[in-house]
Amino acid sequence: MRILLVEDDIDTRTYVSSGLRAKGHAVDESGDGQDGLLRACEHDYDVIVLDRMLPALDGMSVLKKLRSCGTQARVLMLTALGDVDARIDGMEAGADDYLGKPFALSELIARLNAISRRSAHANTMTLLRLGDLELDLIMQRVFRAGKQIHLQPREWDLLKYFALHAGEIITRSMLLEHVWGFQSSPHTNLVDTHVCRLRGKIERDFGPRIIRTVRGEGYTLSLKQGH
Amino acid sequence: MPLGLNVHVGARMVRSAAFRLAVIQALMFALMALTLFLVSWFAARHYIENQLRQTIIDEFGEVIAHPPAQRAASIQRSLAQVPRGAYDYSLFDARRTLVVGDIREEPAVGWSTIEQHEGLRSGKDAVRRILVYGAAQDDGSTLVVGRDLASVDELDALLKRVFTWAGLAAVVLALAGGMVTARGYLRRVEAIAAAASRIAAGDLAARVSITGRGDEFDRLAVSLNSMLERIQTLVEGLRQVSNDIAHDLRTPLTHMRQRLEAAMDEATSLEGYSNACERALADVDSVLDTFAAMLRIAKVESRQQREGFTDIDLSQLLARLVDDYGPVLEDEERVLSAEIQPSVNVRGDALLLTQMFVNLLENALHHTPIGTPVTLKLVAAEQGCQVVMQDAGPGIPAQERTRVLKRFVRLDASRSTRGSGLGLALVAAVADLHDIVLTLGDAGPGLRVQLDFPHRQDA
Repeated sequence: MRILLVEDDIDTRTYVSSGLRAKGHAVDESGDGQDGLLRACEHDYDVIVLDRMLPALDGMSVLKKLRSCGTQARVLMLTALGDVDARIDGMEAGADDYLGKPFALSELIARLNAISRRSAHANTMTLLRLGDLELDLIMQRVFRAGKQIHLQPREWDLLKYFALHAGEIITRSMLLEHVWGFQSSPHTNLVDTHVCRLRGKIERDFGPRIIRTVRGEGYTLSLKQGH
Repeated sequence: MPLGLNVHVGARMVRSAAFRLAVIQALMFALMALTLFLVSWFAARHYIENQLRQTIIDEFGEVIAHPPAQRAASIQRSLAQVPRGAYDYSLFDARRTLVVGDIREEPAVGWSTIEQHEGLRSGKDAVRRILVYGAAQDDGSTLVVGRDLASVDELDALLKRVFTWAGLAAVVLALAGGMVTARGYLRRVEAIAAAASRIAAGDLAARVSITGRGDEFDRLAVSLNSMLERIQTLVEGLRQVSNDIAHDLRTPLTHMRQRLEAAMDEATSLEGYSNACERALADVDSVLDTFAAMLRIAKVESRQQREGFTDIDLSQLLARLVDDYGPVLEDEERVLSAEIQPSVNVRGDALLLTQMFVNLLENALHHTPIGTPVTLKLVAAEQGCQVVMQDAGPGIPAQERTRVLKRFVRLDASRSTRGSGLGLALVAAVADLHDIVLTLGDAGPGLRVQLDFPHRQDA
């Protein structure tokens, strides 16, 4: 995908852009808010990675201007360590996701994938079908091989998030933020426990596993056999 | 030098607000003395003049009681008396010529004041001021009776002298009083200023001295001192935190350095390097976690109370948390049981409250042996509501219960377990922000955490 990276720290910018290029993305770089805004308006990007603290024009202002000029690009905001209110502010200003610095490159890539593929009609969908797995988004019911599975509310949220991002790598912190709404990662394996229980319900009595653990990164819901 | 100092102090005193007040006061006194003088002067003068007129009229009556033909002789007699009488007389005929008497010019009819040169009286060229009353008589003559105004003029002079001196004395006294007051005030203000400059110079323990008189300066000193007390506590707290951070970060950073060094020296395979990198990453992450937790606590502590608060269904929040953490505790072989009264609402920040309960639950999980039951209870009370979380673990010794709420404090028993020693500090900060009374107690055995939410004023 086509990515614009607006970040003033050269080291971070070079590291991130080379990492993204290595994954086959086209990356444009910008070192300040004014220039970043200009590029974002001129070109059609899929995703914009926007640092919150920038020279010339800060990230929040860039985001607001972008949203008011009607850009379709998804925006991921980067913020300083421990700035817990930044997420709420950023989301209110129209960011699609948020990531606190410092971050693992794999985390950034996973999140960029998640927001770029978030389909525009996700909110209007009523039924999600993935192989023999079927999610009734209105009645909040799950069927596998035509058989209904009873899930706890949190398990339902978890499965829905997996299903909407099928095939992508989903990190633990993404799940914590988007399913639980937590800001900081707890020391317990809250996510693992619940994913494990969800697996038990949707996989145990039915043939192949569909939620796989990706070592060092997170999980992915995949229907392809042989993985 | 002492002179220079005196001049300096004097100049400062003249510029002081108290001295300005004293000058204004002195002017007021002077004005008051002047007013008093004018009033008394007019009154006294009026009274004496009236008296004088009355005696003149009486004497006039005596003279005209004589038949017209004998008046001149009577006047002659009166003027010839030794010692001379108090009155002056004159009789003018119809042609306005002086017949007899010592008033040489005929004055206007009725009352008037005349001035008359008396030649060389007692060796001086004196001018006499005389109050006279003249009236035309039936035979065309004019009779004039007068009396010297010297006594009135003397009274005038006396009054003027008295009031001038009294006024001057009042002004001098007011100025002197002002100086004394100004010096006293100046001394107290300078004492406060001196304490302030000592603090500005870095001596945070400096305090404003209190005289014990209980006056407004003492009250000011007391409130300034309590402010300074608070500032000192905060600054020392800050210093403590910086020391703690430095100390707490040194350990993982030292470990990381050692591991990296060892890897450089000893690792021979790609796998060896990769393991060393992985461990170094874990160390960095732990440092970053500590930083993030510190920043979170600082953020919570710096927040204004009630800022961004919303209505929260605490029952629902806790129920969700129990749903989320029940399985986690179960996997770790602890049993979480909950007793939650429905529809209990509080005002607060849902994210922070969630974080607070998560920290408490994780504490219960990490610091208890396997099989420990953990209970969570929410009850609405008359004043606010109460959450009690209890575990049957080892608990916290009574003397440590206040200390564990501070940053980086870890009990010896938990040194080996994961964690930054910041969990309960964040709990305390969130509780403080919400006006929640946090009490750590003994569950006999185990830890009992009691959270008393404040009564909702707006409910």
